[in-house]
Amino acid sequence: MRARNVRLAAYAVAVAAVGFAVVLASRFGSDPGLVDSPLLDKPAPEFALAPLEGGEPVALSDLRGQIVVLNFFASWCTECRKEHGALVSTADAFAGDGVAFVQVSYQESPPDSIAYLDVAGRSDAALYLADPGSRTAIAYGVFGIPETFFIDEGGLVVGKVIGESDAYTLGATIDAIQRGESPGQSVTGSTQQSPDG
Amino acid sequence: MSERTRSLTFAGILVALATVLVVLVATSPSDVDRVESIGQRIKCPVCQGESIADSPSTMARDMMDLITERVDAGFSDQAIIDELLESYSGALLLDPPTGGATLLLWLAPLGALAVGVVVILWWRRHPREEADGEEATPSRKLAPMVVLGVAFVAIVVVATMALRDQPGPAAGVADLSAQDLSEVSNETMEAVIASNLDNPQIDGMRLALAERYFQSGDYKSAFPHYLAVAESDTASADEVVAALVRLGWMVWDGNAEAEAAINLFDQALEVDPGSSTAKYLKAEVLWCGLDDTTQAATLFQDVLADPNLSADARAQVETSLANINSGVGCR
Repeated sequence: MRARNVRLAAYAVAVAAVGFAVVLASRFGSDPGLVDSPLLDKPAPEFALAPLEGGEPVALSDLRGQIVVLNFFASWCTECRKEHGALVSTADAFAGDGVAFVQVSYQESPPDSIAYLDVAGRSDAALYLADPGSRTAIAYGVFGIPETFFIDEGGLVVGKVIGESDAYTLGATIDAIQRGESPGQSVTGSTQQSPDG
Repeated sequence: MSERTRSLTFAGILVALATVLVVLVATSPSDVDRVESIGQRIKCPVCQGESIADSPSTMARDMMDLITERVDAGFSDQAIIDELLESYSGALLLDPPTGGATLLLWLAPLGALAVGVVVILWWRRHPREEADGEEATPSRKLAPMVVLGVAFVAIVVVATMALRDQPGPAAGVADLSAQDLSEVSNETMEAVIASNLDNPQIDGMRLALAERYFQSGDYKSAFPHYLAVAESDTASADEVVAALVRLGWMVWDGNAEAEAAINLFDQALEVDPGSSTAKYLKAEVLWCGLDDTTQAATLFQDVLADPNLSADARAQVETSLANINSGVGCR
């Protein structure tokens, strides 16, 4: 009888251990970079960044009253290269329509970013800024790039796209914000954390 | 107690207090220690399970520099960590938060200890009961089953919580892709077209956008899109005809260039000889632009022979034909 109780207790412990392992395993696949940004529906962190080519810093507060599309990019990021054309075409399409496109260089020297943009192309309607010390990237909680934040006319973060954006995603998100909606966060693809991977 | 003893005791207390003070001062964390200590608690966002204090990545170094700045500025440890969590959420902490689903991680060792203690106590209180051949009471028989049941329920509850906390599939912005094209602005369509110039499926969107411009009377914006569809190698015959017909009409209506318009209608008719729209518009331009009532009347009659012509269109063509036959001039 005592042996049976020991056996039952062992079963109980085994079942509990298996359950615990299942719970832990279920968390394995969850990428911390994919958690909802705590910035959503909160005031966008202020920044004042100088253009890559130099010049007067551009502050987020200078763009108040416009929808701001804030994109973090680098030449070493494959997905960033894929989405660049869409960012340029969308910036061009919304030029003069109350939408400011701001692309911030991430973990890359300004000369490298400039050389990349010289080849990949620029939109006359977009701003290309440097982020020394990654202060703005840290303030926006960037885990990897590309990440694109959408800030409404009142300065609230209302959208975030993790991964490559296409022109439809960018444009439709802007359309939604113009209608007064908060598009929220979506994951469209993978991101790259560093030049090595 | 003698005076000497009291003095020695007092001196001893003073020495002890001084020693404690020296030890406390010597062991109070320096600013460098604080930076390191905070860095050890923060997960490097671009690494795998490594703290920013241990990671050689540029991002980790930048975050350590930020922490150093904040410490130098007099911020408390918690204020610095809170600032980072405001941007990154609790996912940035190496130690899981003591709340939500991760509370289990903190409670599990205590729970296991408690279960162990209960089991040991239970055995000690009933060491030989079963061995002596006594029949176990029904409640005692049920006890292991209850333990198993509780464990099972706990597992299901916790697993459900954990799964619920996982980020769902792409929501929010991605949902917009399912929206009707009618909610998409001209600017978005322009951007999509500009970034998909080599995509054969873009002809349909070009035509839809051009149609919007055409209907609003913005021929200038519509023209390049109709032209691109008309010249596209990937557009369907229907799309090419639709574009050529619109181009022809805009050339006539906007610039009063009758011959250029007729040339475009002819191109449409080469692609689709049965296009009633191309025939009708060509007839209108022949009549109104070149005063060629004979050819115009023939074409109007051709159009009327189309069994699929709508009632409205048929009425319009019949009116035009009647006007030609009765010698009434073009409207």
